[in-house]
Amino acid sequence: MKQPYRIVISGEGGQGVLSIAKIIATAAWMQGRTATYMPFFGTEKRGGISIGYAQIGEEPITVPKFEKADLCVALSQRAVARLMRYLKDDSVIVVNSFLVKDLTDIAKWKPHSIDAASIAREQLKKPRTFNMVIMGAMLKHIPGMSEEGFEKALEKAFKSKYEKDPALRELNAKAVSIGYQLG
Amino acid sequence: MSETTANNAAQTGGVQFDTAFPKCVRIESKPHLYCPGCGHPEVLKALGFAIDDLGIQERVAFGIDIGCSLLAWDYFNLDTVETHHGKTIPTMVGLKQSRPEAVAIAYVGDGGAYAIGAGHFLNAAIRNENILVIVVNNAVYAMTGGQEAPTTLPGMKVATAPAGADQYYIRAPEIVRNVNPTAFVARGIATVQPALRQIIKGAIQHQMEGKGFAFVEVLSQCPLNWGTMGDSKATFDILENKLAKAYPVKRY
Amino acid sequence: MGNEVLGRAARAAGARAMFGYPISPSSEIMHFWAGEAVSEQGKKDRIICTQAEDEGGAGFMMIGSVLVGTRAFTATAGPGHVIMQDALSMAEAMRLPVVVYVMQRGGPSTSTVIYSQSEVNLACFGGNGNGYRVVYSPATLQERYDYGIKVFNVAWKYRFPTFLLGDGYLAKMMGEVELYAPEERGIAIEPTEPYLLEDKRVRELEQVVPSPELQIRRVGGVEYACLRNCLNLEEETLAVNMEIKEAFDKAAVEIVEFEEYGPKDADTLIVAHGIVTNAAKEAVDTLKEKGISARLFRPITLRPFPEEQLRQAAKGVKRIVVAESAIAQLSRLVAYALRGTDSAPMAELSRPSIGIVPREIIEAVMSARLTYV
Repeated sequence: MKQPYRIVISGEGGQGVLSIAKIIATAAWMQGRTATYMPFFGTEKRGGISIGYAQIGEEPITVPKFEKADLCVALSQRAVARLMRYLKDDSVIVVNSFLVKDLTDIAKWKPHSIDAASIAREQLKKPRTFNMVIMGAMLKHIPGMSEEGFEKALEKAFKSKYEKDPALRELNAKAVSIGYQLG
Repeated sequence: MSETTANNAAQTGGVQFDTAFPKCVRIESKPHLYCPGCGHPEVLKALGFAIDDLGIQERVAFGIDIGCSLLAWDYFNLDTVETHHGKTIPTMVGLKQSRPEAVAIAYVGDGGAYAIGAGHFLNAAIRNENILVIVVNNAVYAMTGGQEAPTTLPGMKVATAPAGADQYYIRAPEIVRNVNPTAFVARGIATVQPALRQIIKGAIQHQMEGKGFAFVEVLSQCPLNWGTMGDSKATFDILENKLAKAYPVKRY
Repeated sequence: MGNEVLGRAARAAGARAMFGYPISPSSEIMHFWAGEAVSEQGKKDRIICTQAEDEGGAGFMMIGSVLVGTRAFTATAGPGHVIMQDALSMAEAMRLPVVVYVMQRGGPSTSTVIYSQSEVNLACFGGNGNGYRVVYSPATLQERYDYGIKVFNVAWKYRFPTFLLGDGYLAKMMGEVELYAPEERGIAIEPTEPYLLEDKRVRELEQVVPSPELQIRRVGGVEYACLRNCLNLEEETLAVNMEIKEAFDKAAVEIVEFEEYGPKDADTLIVAHGIVTNAAKEAVDTLKEKGISARLFRPITLRPFPEEQLRQAAKGVKRIVVAESAIAQLSRLVAYALRGTDSAPMAELSRPSIGIVPREIIEAVMSARLTYV
């Protein structure tokens, strides 16, 4: 039985961890795959633990919980410790190097370090696009996902935001591109 | 001519006289189940006459609580439901929201409204729910054997305060008036029928006109738990001199 | 997401009123319903969404609504579910068709808002009665929609409090669901009937409400119904309980649902419900790849429990493995169902308030195979 592609992403509440997981799952579904997304959060509304689980596959996915992930993403230093349990030998790791400085525990997995926050602020002039940069980097590793399909998912997720600020659309696309190249 | 008057007329050889019971009463359940000297039958009578006057017998949903109010479960020919303790008010709220044409009346005791049901009572008042709440206040938990109530007055000897109740008691009409400026709020007393009938009728009309929350507290006597059974002078002394002093009988 | 699916199911079923109190992980159901209540179509359909002061208020508002024939429901979880049982026990005693969506979360007490299967006892046997409620445990988002509709029809047809047992995972999960209108699938919507303020009923109240709790008089061509739940004599309450039992036992044969998965000749029987079903099915498949034969028995209704069907499934197996995210809530039902039979030993995989993955079930089966040969 072929297992779905499993992604776990963690960070602090407010960093958009769950949005990322949700958009990726939605993007996969819009491209005709099966996908499941499940959030986990603690009680704090900001700054608490936040973990998003996404699974992408060909068969219906009915077990939302899994033990090992194919792709692990850490947006904060604390998240690294949380993600250790999901690592298997061939897991791919992407980290937000702006906050994740200490890579000792995960060195052997050769994590992809991306300073998404600085890129968002300096190159894109919009700190909020930091999520998009991370997503671009993730996209690189998820099998069967295309940038075009991804754009469709972004359209759906940010419909009202794009209506208010159409420039955001291009900005997001650029952010995803940069992330993809660096991923 | 109502059934009851017709019956009475038959028994008195054709002489017609005004029945002592409202028309909407269920004659088969009489004599009622209340203790001799209890104030409930007086309140129920006033309620029944108000319903007769307004001609709304077919529209009333009569909710009763657990406590002595439950002895009225088959008192009337009205659609009646007995709920759980303190839950008559939310039941009537849900019913009225779902069927606005109904006249929803919650008939409860001081415990059901001011203790276990206080949260529901207060919130219904604040939200101006379009129901009528009648609280029969006899300053004691009667059916369960005379325990302290939120309206027991300081020094009154009750089963859970044998050395005398504490100095705290609740004046609900005053509270409701404070949280809801437009609610119909009044306090009546079981011993004055005509006024009670008028207050209840006015409270029902408040609901029927869609004006929101209507609340009538009625001071009532409980000779059994007051220890004044058989001594009506003592009973009414407590009711009219002690309770009515602490709890003003008036329209708020 | 899962909670939205339930909101849509209730809408599709023709539900009109929700009375509730926010509590994780069920609150999104109320958010959805509140949105419906203020929408164009919702206003036309006179949708009611009332946030009560607590679950007690919500439960009894729901009862008041049901009494005048409104298709009403609530949603709750954990400590809220505990409080709700006050109202649900009144509904149980008086045969009122309230519908409850329960999103199980950690327990006991506040615990986590995440997930568990620890509210089986509460849903099946909560309150101070003998457990005469109907309880469904769907396993997937699609089933949440299907049963989210069904609970209303079953409630109004058979007149027992009816539960849809969900959990925090299914509540928050997003996935693909096929939404449909019941008539597209030939599903008839059961009509509602008022208990109060109604003269013409298809089913007389005497056929529904236990007789000691009901007194009806006809005056001037109008029927007045008096309903109570407080009784005086032991004989009265015996009669109430036996009337409810008789009606439930009769309805049970029509209501009970279950599912089996895996080879018929397996000598290990796995029992699981709700979302754990899916991990159990994967375990069955993986075990087969390893050359080990196991079959899954899944109760879809926990009340009425498919006792006869489980007894059949358990015939001839060497061992039973019960997997649940609770301790002994499902396995107690299993043990009771198998009472008096010469059934196989039962091993319990109890993981209270935490998700179960296929590996854990596989290991439990392997271990049981070593223990119960």
